[in-house]
Amino acid sequence: MFSKSQAKAFFLVGTGLCAGAFILLTIDTLKRIPKQTYSQNLTDEAIRGKHLFETNNCAGCHTILGEGAYYAPELTKVYERRGESFIESMLRDPEAMYPGQRKMVQYKFTDSEIKDLIAFFKWIGEMDLNGFPAKPDVMRPAVQTEALPEHMVSETAKLVRPKVFDQMCTACHSVRSQGGTVGPALDGVGTRRDLAYIKQWLISPTSLKSDSKMPKMPLSDQDISELTSYLSQLKEVN
Amino acid sequence: MKYKSQKVAYWFFAACMGLLALQLVYGFIMGFAHMGFDGLHSIIPFNTARATHTNLLVMWLLTGFMGSAYYIIPEEAERELISVKWAYVQLIALLVVGVTAIIGFHFNWWEGRKFLEIPRPLDYLVVVDVLLFIFLIGGTIWRGKRYTTTSMVLFFGLLMTALLYLPGMIPTDHQTMDSYWRWWVVHLWVEGVWELIMGAILSFLLIKQTGIDREVIEKWLYIIVGFTFLSGILGTGHHYYYIGTPRYWLMIGGIFSALEPVAFLGMAIFAIAMAKKGGRTLDNKTALNWTIGCSVISFVGAGLLGFAHTIPQVNMYTHGTLVTAMHGHMAFWGAYAMLILAIITYTMPIMTGRKIQDSVMNAFAFWVSNIGMICMTVAFGIAGIAQVYMERKLGLDFLGVQKEIEVHFLGLVLAATLFTAGVIAFIWNFIRYGLPMDSKR
Ligand code: HEC
Ligand code: HEC
Ligand code: HEM
Ligand code: HEM
Ligand SMILES: [Fe+2]
Repeated sequence: MFSKSQAKAFFLVGTGLCAGAFILLTIDTLKRIPKQTYSQNLTDEAIRGKHLFETNNCAGCHTILGEGAYYAPELTKVYERRGESFIESMLRDPEAMYPGQRKMVQYKFTDSEIKDLIAFFKWIGEMDLNGFPAKPDVMRPAVQTEALPEHMVSETAKLVRPKVFDQMCTACHSVRSQGGTVGPALDGVGTRRDLAYIKQWLISPTSLKSDSKMPKMPLSDQDISELTSYLSQLKEVN
Repeated sequence: MKYKSQKVAYWFFAACMGLLALQLVYGFIMGFAHMGFDGLHSIIPFNTARATHTNLLVMWLLTGFMGSAYYIIPEEAERELISVKWAYVQLIALLVVGVTAIIGFHFNWWEGRKFLEIPRPLDYLVVVDVLLFIFLIGGTIWRGKRYTTTSMVLFFGLLMTALLYLPGMIPTDHQTMDSYWRWWVVHLWVEGVWELIMGAILSFLLIKQTGIDREVIEKWLYIIVGFTFLSGILGTGHHYYYIGTPRYWLMIGGIFSALEPVAFLGMAIFAIAMAKKGGRTLDNKTALNWTIGCSVISFVGAGLLGFAHTIPQVNMYTHGTLVTAMHGHMAFWGAYAMLILAIITYTMPIMTGRKIQDSVMNAFAFWVSNIGMICMTVAFGIAGIAQVYMERKLGLDFLGVQKEIEVHFLGLVLAATLFTAGVIAFIWNFIRYGLPMDSKR
């Protein structure tokens, strides 16, 4: 068939060619990475953030760019998904944001370290990752019927869902069966509670219920008024 | 045992057994944490358990490769090791560095890059230690009576393993670059140079156990490792799809990594064919079981399960999920863990002079650990597919999905218990062999 020396030549030539091609591609890739990842936005803050991420082995629980551990949420898009104030409270006290859930380590970060980590997540989130993470592409019934039931349409024509709701509240609450399960589903909360109650609740949950498990959220006055008007329009459907 | 110095291998293998046992303890800690039993969180948080689990794995595999080399090289080169004393020094130094690293993980001292968590100062010590090892093995080959293909492939694999550790130490402030170089270590090890080590050790085992002509076996060894590098080097691209590197990697990585299973298939066919052809009456059936098993399970775990998520369109959804953990377990087990257990099973009766290799306990170890590992892979697989569907396809919340799949971790822990029973039997049998012959007083 073939001799041992031919087999050896196959090994040596194949390896040489592939290694050569790999090195050339690496040189090209190194040239292109800065543009694709917006290296110009890699501030000193973000670099310090990366260092904190590394020295605390956050990737021993989380994935970032899809690499790491499978115990805690993917963090590539966390800046967009949760926003600054949510991440900030998370890093100050993980239990506050997710009481009784799977545990994250309680770190003792200073204010500036928290800023650094947030800057790092912001930079990571803006990279061009060739489409990762993919958008969910299987439609669920609840999503398909984004159009509201008839008798609600008139009232809710102006129903705009504030961005801060998606960032901060869906971690614990669901609306139309999308979101977390720590707190009650908020469908119909506008029927259960009146506007003043919701507003007061958002200012301080414990002022209405002393043993409330919902943390006081870091919200601006503007956030509170947007959220209040949104929630009070989520009426019971039947 | 032809050469007295071969018995250093015994102590490397004994270290393997200890590290493996400890690795499994940390596996259970994580399995329970995934089920919601995280009572150890304040002492051993998940990231500590994980770094310890995977670093112990890498450490015992490297220790096993070194032990194998200390056994194989004298026999291939037909001379004693150039220094036995330094081989012991090298083992002890490796263990000291490794244990220091692992203790460090419990005190938040690490680098936080997956699989390369060992802190920088210790990295340098690892490099020095491995250089000493390379020097001892290289020197023995150099002064030996003959150069065989098996020993050259083994040596080249070990040398490249040492050299490829260096890219992982390139300093960078850029997450993408960090990841880029990390794969030069992680991928080019397991899907490149370690396959050379695997091919060489399998060849040695087959030559010894089947009595087939060395020339035939070594010819196929070249072909197989040729395919490994032909596909594996550019196959690194399957880790460069979605980390901020150019789009052309989707094409290159996709095509070349899809060819990687060929090398593993080659390895399996090669081992089975040689074992069938071999005319020797076997006095160590269990070792041959491990040898063939290694080639077959590595094809399933690395080849088939790797292929299952290597196509870019699939990897887009499975990237960084429990699907990867499913593949990681069976691939590491089949290709490298079983390889070392094979050579341990082969060498122990020779080194100790006690013929208990085909005991019921050893057969139990083989079958039960493998069935256990297959069940673990299934449990990870179901959890992973469910996770991908709910989280990535439907867009459900991460923690909600984790709650849904908790039950599969009950399955995982049960399967792992079975697996562990097999491993305990193996270790027990190892202990029953006693010490190597001429070190007995
Ligand atoms: C022991 C495991 C563990 C470690 C280590 C860890 N985390 Fe977490 N993290 C979690 C878990 C689990 C969650 C999900 C929320 C919860 O249950 O507390 C989480 C949530 C988060 C979130 C919110 C994500 C979201 O989508 O809501 C951020 C941001 C975060 N972690 C950042 C970090 C950073 C930064 C580090 C390192 C300094 C880190 N984590 C280390 C386990 C961990
Ligand atoms: C850390 C989890 C968590 C987050 C984040 C969270 N909530 Fe809550 N929320 C709860 C829990 C738990 C309750 C139930 C409180 C109780 O009964 O103690 C609750 C109750 C409520 C209620 C009262 C519901 C009722 O039927 O009485 C409203 C309104 C509400 N949350 C709105 C919000 C809004 C708006 C946000 C975002 C700014 C938010 N929550 C963020 C956990 C959370
Ligand atoms: C013995 C050989 C192999 C071993 C030990 C192994 C092990 C692993 C491990 C541990 C990971 C996770 C790495 C990380 O995230 O840091 C991984 C990832 C991966 N492996 Fe393998 N592997 C092997 C062979 C293969 C082969 C032959 C293929 C393809 C045909 C393959 C395809 C992949 C892919 C696509 C990923 C990335 C998964 C992701 O995106 O999360 N592997 N492998
Ligand atoms: C008692 C048996 C074992 C149990 C319960 C176990 C459990 C686990 C768990 C829960 C993880 C973490 C997944 C995550 O990040 O969420 C993990 C990671 C890992 N384990 Fe194990 N394991 C066991 C044995 C082994 C063995 C024998 C090997 C190797 C042969 C191994 C290799 C790995 C690897 C390579 C990873 C990293 C996977 C990745 O990043 O994709 N484990 N293990
Ligand atoms: Fe790979």
